[in-house]
Amino acid sequence: MAHRIIGKPIGRVDGTEKVSGAARYSGDVSVPGLIWGKALRSPLPHARIARIDVTRAKALPGVLAVLTAKDLPGILVGRRMFDMPLLARERVRFIGEKVAVVAAADPDVAEEATTLIDVEYEDLPAVIDPEAATVAGAPVVHDDPGAYEGAPAERPHANVQSVLRFKLGDVQAGFREAARTFEHTFRTQLAHQGYLEPHAGVVAIDEDGRVQVWASNKMPFRLKELLSHALQLPQEKIRVNLTPIGGDFGGKGSLMDLPLAYHLARVTGRPVKMVMRYAEELMAGNPRHPSVITLRTGVSRDGQIVARSVRALFNSGAYAAFKPAPSVSLGGASMGAGVYRIPNLLIESFCVYTNNIPCGHARSPGEPQMVFAEESHMDMIARELALDPAEFRRRNLLRDGDHLANGHHLEHVRAGDTLEAALKASEYSEPKPGPWIGRGMAMTHRHIGVGFTNAVVRLGTDGRVTLRIALPDTGTGAHLVLRQVVAEVLGVAMDDVEIELATTDDFATDSGVGGSRVTHTGGRAAYHAAEKLKAQIEAEAAKLGVPADSLAAIARAAAREGRTLEASHFYDAKAHGAVTSFTAQVAEVAVDPQTGQVTVRRFTTTHDVGTVINPLGHQGQIEGGLIQGLGFALMEEIKTEEGRISTLSLGDVKLPTIQDIPPLTTVILEDPVGPGPFNAKAIGEGSISAVAPAIANAVADACGARILDLPITAEKVYFALKEKERRP
Amino acid sequence: MNRKIRVTVNGTARAVEVPTYRTLLDCLRNDLGLTGSKEGCGVGVCGACTVLLDGKMISSCIALAVSADGHEVTTVEGLAGDERLHPVQQAFIDAGGFQCGICTPGQVVSAKALLDANPNPSDAEIREWMLGNLCRCTGYYKIIESIRAAAQRSRA
Repeated sequence: MAHRIIGKPIGRVDGTEKVSGAARYSGDVSVPGLIWGKALRSPLPHARIARIDVTRAKALPGVLAVLTAKDLPGILVGRRMFDMPLLARERVRFIGEKVAVVAAADPDVAEEATTLIDVEYEDLPAVIDPEAATVAGAPVVHDDPGAYEGAPAERPHANVQSVLRFKLGDVQAGFREAARTFEHTFRTQLAHQGYLEPHAGVVAIDEDGRVQVWASNKMPFRLKELLSHALQLPQEKIRVNLTPIGGDFGGKGSLMDLPLAYHLARVTGRPVKMVMRYAEELMAGNPRHPSVITLRTGVSRDGQIVARSVRALFNSGAYAAFKPAPSVSLGGASMGAGVYRIPNLLIESFCVYTNNIPCGHARSPGEPQMVFAEESHMDMIARELALDPAEFRRRNLLRDGDHLANGHHLEHVRAGDTLEAALKASEYSEPKPGPWIGRGMAMTHRHIGVGFTNAVVRLGTDGRVTLRIALPDTGTGAHLVLRQVVAEVLGVAMDDVEIELATTDDFATDSGVGGSRVTHTGGRAAYHAAEKLKAQIEAEAAKLGVPADSLAAIARAAAREGRTLEASHFYDAKAHGAVTSFTAQVAEVAVDPQTGQVTVRRFTTTHDVGTVINPLGHQGQIEGGLIQGLGFALMEEIKTEEGRISTLSLGDVKLPTIQDIPPLTTVILEDPVGPGPFNAKAIGEGSISAVAPAIANAVADACGARILDLPITAEKVYFALKEKERRP
Repeated sequence: MNRKIRVTVNGTARAVEVPTYRTLLDCLRNDLGLTGSKEGCGVGVCGACTVLLDGKMISSCIALAVSADGHEVTTVEGLAGDERLHPVQQAFIDAGGFQCGICTPGQVVSAKALLDANPNPSDAEIREWMLGNLCRCTGYYKIIESIRAAAQRSRA
């Protein structure tokens, strides 16, 4: 079916506010009487708090309140497992943990006051390394984690937060069948989501005693529930107001400083703003988990994978509070199976407590870590078997009717088509243009997200249409996609559909933004609401005897009878369907033998997608995710020394700049079989995860140096080359 | 210690009393209510706070407000005319040069300064000039396209 608006590369018609500086993010919100909150953070990874003296801070002119744990209820907060105090109570568990908080009308005064709080600590033995954390006798980060609300039952060691397993067949029997077995261990770094808007929030208690919240949080309804729990207030006492969010990438779903802002507002009677400095983001945000991953794979004589076992250790830091999944773990661990049919599989993933920064969700949680390990492992096996890495993959790719590690059966499997398209577009098999140049590939897949979303579509008496939603704009272009869907269904122009943002007062619940869900769930909610409105319009038109496109006349006629033409839909998708989206990527790199420096000469990304609703926004998601993947592969790292972050500025963690981006070829394989509106799938998390292994495999192809730990810095390649010279 | 400063902001003369330690960014955002310029890194590397001081790009998060005394400051709020966006702003909309928009005020101010200095930049010149403006959403490809399109439009 030909569409009028779906599939058109429509620019960001919502963009005037963003390019003109008029958009009000939560950090820009100003309300009368606003004051500022600033936190004091722990300088030690593990210590007992012997004494806190706030006398000098309170005496500083301009200071309105100073709070420590003894001024607050002993509530513990979290997203799924509730193990984090609002302020450290008796004990600090990581460098950066909040110990006290100050309010002042001037943010600089509040900040100065934090330096006047005297805290006496007594050092406790710290555990920094995740492997050391799980041995007998290791220092324990929490005395009784099993007692926390939401704690998983299985706990092989006091420092284990959660265990996640995926199992197919009989892995031991599978290994007995194997002709050869390969085992490799990989490590990935601590990495920040890199959004340029640090966490910000404003909390105001209004005359009716209601708590008004503006926050950089992508799940307003979940935020309301979590705040209700944290503040011990009924949900109807809290209203979350939506603001644009200055980048999310998985990181903007927690309470962060909001409970403290509330308590400062409560004791001062003034609205309170708290904005984290970027240094605070880097020491106490909720970054991507570092990992240690071991894969063991058994292969038959003809190059078929017959068994695989995977053990993943995710260094979760001092609290589990930032992980939202019911498993209190990272679903990306399931990618240990890659995009392959593995009859006998066991994946075991452990999230481990240490005295480090607590980690959370980042764009496709756990996947860039696991896909780096898994796809590097695949290439290493192929080379050992003297098989072309593409051919080894071909022999093992998923096919229709196969099962994923999580037991889901698959249809419309286009893993093979996606791989072949990437090989062709990248000229993978062509001779390389010179020495020290290599090519590498990697594959992955990403589900289409599920959740529940509201949409209300209303026809105005001016003939224009309003779409009312409670999905904050995190920058993905979702609002534009939803407007396109409504315009297409109702047969109106894009400019005649506008978005009206609801608050948490307006719907019962809504799963918000995240997990590659919005085009699917928001799109379907908007689609069905628009269909219902269309039926109303057609009925009214028939009644009036006018054409159904006389929208203004129809709406006015209804208005004269006191009626508004409006339809709503609550779309609720609970289970992932049988369709996924495959990605195949090829990197071509040059390695400088003198320095080890890696340059990506060109990059090819191929995506098996559903109907593309907005090609411009779709491509923007691919490019943005891909360059995040490139940063993860080559440069980004929050470095720590004994639990202390040594890269406390954005300049030191090395996000990619405009100079770092390679020439890019994108291939889109459109297959309209997705569960989204007009058979769309998802794209937001499709391009990030395979970049690092594609580059690692290309580096190995270029110079023989196999880098097993990210990022692939010049130093690592240089020393790997030196090592090869010594032991060729 | 406080000092009274006079600054021409987006063509309007403003007088404001600020502590001498106040950054120009905090002065613009909190004292003058111009919240278009953003604080990202806070240490002068991300470019979200970029403004023009007498036409030259600076990171307002590491400039003191008192250093702008007697000078002209242009922020993102000052780029558009009464009815029309600046060609750079329009190009960022048409070509998908932003997503979340938090870095965009700095991007469009830097891009305007580029086209003022060099109305016909090559891709290499765009990359060189825009190096100090980080963007985490777009991967930069569409920022380059936006600036190319703006240059074309300005010449037309």
